[in-house]
Amino acid sequence: MPQYNRVANGIWVAVLIVISFIMIFPFILMLSTSLKNMAELQRPVFSIIPDVLRFDNYPKAMARGNWGLYFWNSIYVTFWSVVLSLLFNSMAGFAFARLRFRFRELLFIISLIGLMIPPQVNMLPIYVILKYVPFAGGNDWLGRGGLGWLNSYWGLIAPYVAGSFGVFLFRQFYLTFPRALDDAAVIDGMTARQRFMYIYLPLSKPVMASLVALKATATWNEYTWPLIVTMTTDMRTVQLALSLYKDEYTIEWELLMAATAVAIIPLLVIFFCAQRYFVEGIVTTGIKG
Amino acid sequence: MRSSKRLKQYDNTGYLFILPFYVFFAVFIVTPILMNLALSFTRFNLKEVKFIGLQNYLNLFEDEFFVRSLINTGLYTFFTLAFTMLISLFLAILLNRGLTGTPLFRTSSFVPHVVSMVAASMIWYWMYEPAYGIINRFLAMVGISGKLWLHDEKLALASIIIMSIWKFTGYYMVIYLAGLQTIPSYLYEATAIDGASEWQKIRYVTIPMLRPVTFFLFVTGVINNFNVFEQVNILTQGGPMNATTTVVHQIFIRAFRDFLMGYAAAQAIFVLIIVAVLTLMFFKYGSQEQDVEVA
Repeated sequence: MPQYNRVANGIWVAVLIVISFIMIFPFILMLSTSLKNMAELQRPVFSIIPDVLRFDNYPKAMARGNWGLYFWNSIYVTFWSVVLSLLFNSMAGFAFARLRFRFRELLFIISLIGLMIPPQVNMLPIYVILKYVPFAGGNDWLGRGGLGWLNSYWGLIAPYVAGSFGVFLFRQFYLTFPRALDDAAVIDGMTARQRFMYIYLPLSKPVMASLVALKATATWNEYTWPLIVTMTTDMRTVQLALSLYKDEYTIEWELLMAATAVAIIPLLVIFFCAQRYFVEGIVTTGIKG
Repeated sequence: MRSSKRLKQYDNTGYLFILPFYVFFAVFIVTPILMNLALSFTRFNLKEVKFIGLQNYLNLFEDEFFVRSLINTGLYTFFTLAFTMLISLFLAILLNRGLTGTPLFRTSSFVPHVVSMVAASMIWYWMYEPAYGIINRFLAMVGISGKLWLHDEKLALASIIIMSIWKFTGYYMVIYLAGLQTIPSYLYEATAIDGASEWQKIRYVTIPMLRPVTFFLFVTGVINNFNVFEQVNILTQGGPMNATTTVVHQIFIRAFRDFLMGYAAAQAIFVLIIVAVLTLMFFKYGSQEQDVEVA
């Protein structure tokens, strides 16, 4: 590291403080607003510190709508999307890295198409597909008559399961494993399934952790798809409920900010505990590619 | 014979392992693309399908909302990406100097990336509020009269861009930072011996060495920003007077408000073509000198 002089460093630290402040300030404002009342918010003189901490804004905000259910929906959808996609991705990654079968390279290249398709472009046909799932949501065997998987948990989960990026990442990761590991396992008479379950999967923790962080955040934060696929209030996810909050009730800013705080705090807590994995996940996506 | 032995090593377990992934991939990624294409030649309202040839594509450019959305999306993509990349590069270079408090600054810049777009939009909706919002309060303090922001035809798109820059900077910063850490320190030492100034080191070592990272961020950034939807739908619903409607917002409106599924599919195909052409162009002209792989 080159030697920098003290004055310059002081200036740069000041610049960093300003930028970080801009990044964090909206969240401070959110918390401050959520603890005030309307009269305080409309006062001509602004103060970031509330007169009294009005924690009762939180139960009041949660009383508008069934937030317990919204949280349950979000947790349920996030959990199954993450579990299914990571399981299927790691299996496919293992096969592409270690098993021999015809058209392996071709099938792998095709699976990368998923990286190039913006999900927003596919939302319309996925909606149509889900509507015509046979025997679901009142549909007959040709998928006519009912709603299919629209407005259902499956409709919220299924479109997230594929995940080409996960396959790619697992494959690259498994390619770095020494071949000797497989040779030894084969000599011991292990099948492909056993190698995957007892050798590859247990050794996947680093890449797993990053992908869980990425996938869980993405699913938890998703807005567009729940907006399209859900119809009744009881299927709403946290993000969807929050986005509709300002349209369905007259805006009371302190309650809106309380609801916003409730929606992001679980994720922020997880982020601060496992920051490493969030950052590593992103860095792998951007750099190693 | 070697070749016959090799053939024997093929077995079908591989197919079983990729099957679950491939089922979801085929149903939710490949089929939708083909369906988009097929539907784009039809009039379809979820009940009846009628083949109408290229009519939807011809209608695209007569549709003033769609043309407006293309312009808005272009402006949004250009300004959001340009500022996000500049600020994040600057921030990453500062954070790479090992100054006091670096981890704290890094974490705080990254927080906006972690929270949902919905939550971020709600907070900015409140900050942009004309009567009591913090931004107008601050402007009043320095003697500038308040603006309507999201409700002002001229400022609405800019307001969304500002929020998006705030939201995305942390993500770009983290990637730039990782890129900076791969630059070998001997390059800086060599330029120091040659008597290079701080600025020259950045200009002639840092920025050229970051070229693959910049390229990656640029290409993915263009694609992601071109598909902007969430902020728009939450903050302005495309208004006021279509000042913020974007291409994906138009697809959404046409498909799920007007139920013009065939027409919306044609818009989606149009987006796919633009994205594909841009990506190919970037790869052709952008990565001539360096081997760049993009995930």
